[in-house]
Amino acid sequence: MRFIVSTSTLLKQLQAVNGASSSSTVLPILENFLFEIRDSILTISATDLQTSMTTSLAVESKEEGKIAIPSKILLETLKTLPDQPIAFNIDDSTFAIEINAGDGKYKLSGENGDDFPKIPTVEDASAVNLPASVLAEAINKTIFAVSSDELRPAMTGVFCQLTPQHFTFVSTDAHKLVRYRRMDAKSESAASFILPKKALTLLKSSLPSDDVNVSVEYNSTSAFFRFGNINLICRLIDERYPDYEAVIPQNNTNQLTLDRALFLNSLRRVVIFANKTTHQVRLKITGSELNISSEDIDFSNEAHERLSCQYEGDDMEIGFNARFLIEMLNNLSGEEVTLQMSTPNRAGLLIPQTNDEREDVLMLVMPVMLNSYA
Amino acid sequence: MASLAVTSYRKIIHIDMDAFYASVEQRDHPEYRGKPLVVGGLPQGRGGVVATASYEARNFGIRSAMSSKQALQLCPDAIFVKPRFEVYKEVSRKIREIFSRYTDLIEPLSLDEAYLDVTNDKLSVGSALEIARQIKAAIKDELALSASAGVSINKFVAKIASDINKPDGLTFIGPSSVKGFMEQLPVEKFFGVGKVTAAKMKGIGLFTGADLKRLSEEELVRHFGKSGHFYYQIVRGIDKREVQPHRETKSLAAEDTFATDLTSLKDMEAELERIASLVYERLQKKNLKGRTITLKIKYSDFKQITRNRSFPFPVWDLKTIVECAKQLLADTFQDEQKVRLLGISISNFGTPESMQKNAANSAQLKLF
Repeated sequence: MRFIVSTSTLLKQLQAVNGASSSSTVLPILENFLFEIRDSILTISATDLQTSMTTSLAVESKEEGKIAIPSKILLETLKTLPDQPIAFNIDDSTFAIEINAGDGKYKLSGENGDDFPKIPTVEDASAVNLPASVLAEAINKTIFAVSSDELRPAMTGVFCQLTPQHFTFVSTDAHKLVRYRRMDAKSESAASFILPKKALTLLKSSLPSDDVNVSVEYNSTSAFFRFGNINLICRLIDERYPDYEAVIPQNNTNQLTLDRALFLNSLRRVVIFANKTTHQVRLKITGSELNISSEDIDFSNEAHERLSCQYEGDDMEIGFNARFLIEMLNNLSGEEVTLQMSTPNRAGLLIPQTNDEREDVLMLVMPVMLNSYA
Repeated sequence: MASLAVTSYRKIIHIDMDAFYASVEQRDHPEYRGKPLVVGGLPQGRGGVVATASYEARNFGIRSAMSSKQALQLCPDAIFVKPRFEVYKEVSRKIREIFSRYTDLIEPLSLDEAYLDVTNDKLSVGSALEIARQIKAAIKDELALSASAGVSINKFVAKIASDINKPDGLTFIGPSSVKGFMEQLPVEKFFGVGKVTAAKMKGIGLFTGADLKRLSEEELVRHFGKSGHFYYQIVRGIDKREVQPHRETKSLAAEDTFATDLTSLKDMEAELERIASLVYERLQKKNLKGRTITLKIKYSDFKQITRNRSFPFPVWDLKTIVECAKQLLADTFQDEQKVRLLGISISNFGTPESMQKNAANSAQLKLF
C-alpha cells in the first residue's frame, strides 16, 4: 500500500483523534492508529474500546488496504517535520512502514490492520441535531463538577435529559451540582443517558469553533457524534443517575445578590489564608453586608473581607469550601450572581443574573459545617 | 591528596536535658526549687505515671515511668504537678535553635533529647568537644537549664556517654577509647536491653560488653533473636546509623515485663492503665496522634499475640487508649492464662495533612 499526503493535513487529523487512543499494556494495538484507504480516502481510527474516534481525509493513492501504525512515533515525527508532501510505503505482508519526507527516510514496523478492534456502529438509534456551540457550552458548564469517584460510576459522567421542551445536562460530585438547561434544544421523543467524562473532554477539544451542526445518535448502550469529518462514538455509563431534582432545595428564603467578579476575587484572596486542605471560608451576612473570612490556626493565618451586597432574609453564617465556590463562579457568566440559601446545613444555590432566555443555569454547593457560629 | 589512608570518624553529640520537665517547672516556679518535684499524672488519679522527677525526688528512688501512687509512697512530701507540654515544646524549639547554630544534622529523639552530627563544622569551632561545651553553655545562659552531653564517633556510644556524668555532664569517648569503653560496659546499658533481657544475660554469665564480645554472632542471635546481630556490631563499637534530621516516627509503644506473671484480669487492667499513661506521655512528648492501637500480650510460655483496632480519626486522649486496650484484652482473655508482658503501641500517624483531610471530609456535607 502506498499513499502521499501533506504532513500538516495528516498531523491535524491525527491530533483530532489521538485523544481516543490508549496506552494500554493489555492490548498494545490500542497504541496504534488504524489507517484504511479506499477510493483515495484515508480513514484514521483511534480507540480505547470505550471511546473511539475516526476522521477521514483525501490522499493520493491508487490502492486500498489497511495498517495499524504506532501513534506516538508517528505523531512525534510529523510534529518535527516542516509542511511538505510525505509518502508512506507499506509492505502488506510484513507490515513494515517506510516514510519518505524530503531528504529523510524513516522506517518503523506496523501491525496487521485486521487485528485492530472494530470501531462499533450505533444500531437502532434515535437521532437529534444540535449546534456545536450549544454542545460546547453544555460541556463547559458541567464538566468541572463531574465526579472522579469510580466507586460511584453514575456520577463520573454528565447526565443528559432530552425532552420536547428542552435539553438538560447535569453533573455532580456529591459536593456540588450543576444543572444546565437549554430551552433552544428539543427532542421529539424523551430520552436520558449518561455520557462519560472522557468522551466529553474529547468532544470539547475537537468541536470546531465555527457553529456547525452536530448530529447525535444514541441507543441504550452507545452515543454517536458526527460533525465535519470527525466521528466520535462512546459507550454510555450504564448506571442509574441519582435523583438530583430531589436534592435541590425549594424554599430558599435567604437571597444574597452581589457582583460576581468582586465575590470571586474576594474568595481568591481569602482562600489563601484558609486551611490548606479544607479551604474553608465563612460567609457571615448581616443586613446588607457580607463578611468573608478564613483562618488557618496551624499557621496563625487569617483573612477578613467586607463586601456590600443586596440581601433578603435573616442574618446568617454559613461555611463553604472556597474552591468549590471559585470553580462555580468561574464557570458562570453574567455580572451579578445570586446565592440562595435556607439554613447553614443545606445546599446553597448559585444562580447567575442574566437575561439569556435560551439557557437556565443552576449551580448548587453543599456547605461545610462550621465548628462555631459565634 | 585524599589518598592518605586516614580513617575519618564521624563526630556525634548526644544532648540530653537534665530532668527536663522538672527543671523547666523549677525554673518557672521558684517555690519548687530544691524540693522533690514530680511532673506527671497526679497520684489521686487512676493510672498516672511519673513523666519526670526532679533530682531531689530521684534521691527518694522516684523514677520516670513509675506509677505516681508508688512515687507518693516513696516520698510523701513530693510535689506533684501536671505537665505543661506547650511550654516544654516551646523550650525544646529554642534548644533546637541553639543546635542549629552548629549543625543542620539534628535528629530530635523527643523534646529533651537529640543527636547532632557535627562532622561538618558549621562555625569552624574545630572540636566536637568544644561544640558540646558551647551548646551546654548556651542552654544554661539563654534558657537557664542544664543539659548533659556525650561526644563520640557514633550514636550509640554518644548516647551512653551523655548519661555518664549526669546532671550537667560532658563525656568524650574518642576513637581510641571506644573499644575499652564498650568492653567494661554493663550489659543493661546496651540499647534495647531491658531488665528481663539483662537478667537473662546475667543468667548465662554475661555481665559486660567484654562477655558479649566473646560470643559469636550466631550464638548471640540464638540467645537473643535478631537483636543479637545488633549486639554483635555494637559491642565492637560499630554503629553505622546516621543522624537523620527528618526521621519519621512510625509507631510509639510502651511495654513491661512483669516480675511475676499476671493471672487476673483486674491486675492486667491496672498494668494496662499504667502502660497506657506511658504511651500517652510519649505521644505528647512527640506531639503525635495515631489511628491504630495495638495490644501486645506475651504469655508465660513466651507465646505472643497482638490485637489491634483502628479508628477513623486520630486518637490522642488517654481515656480512649485505656478503654481500647482493655477491650482488646477482654476479647482475648481466658482464665488460667499467665501473662508475662503487656504492651500498647500507637501507629498509623499519617501525615497531618491526611488527618486534616479526614476531618475536612466529615465537615463537608454531601448531597447524596
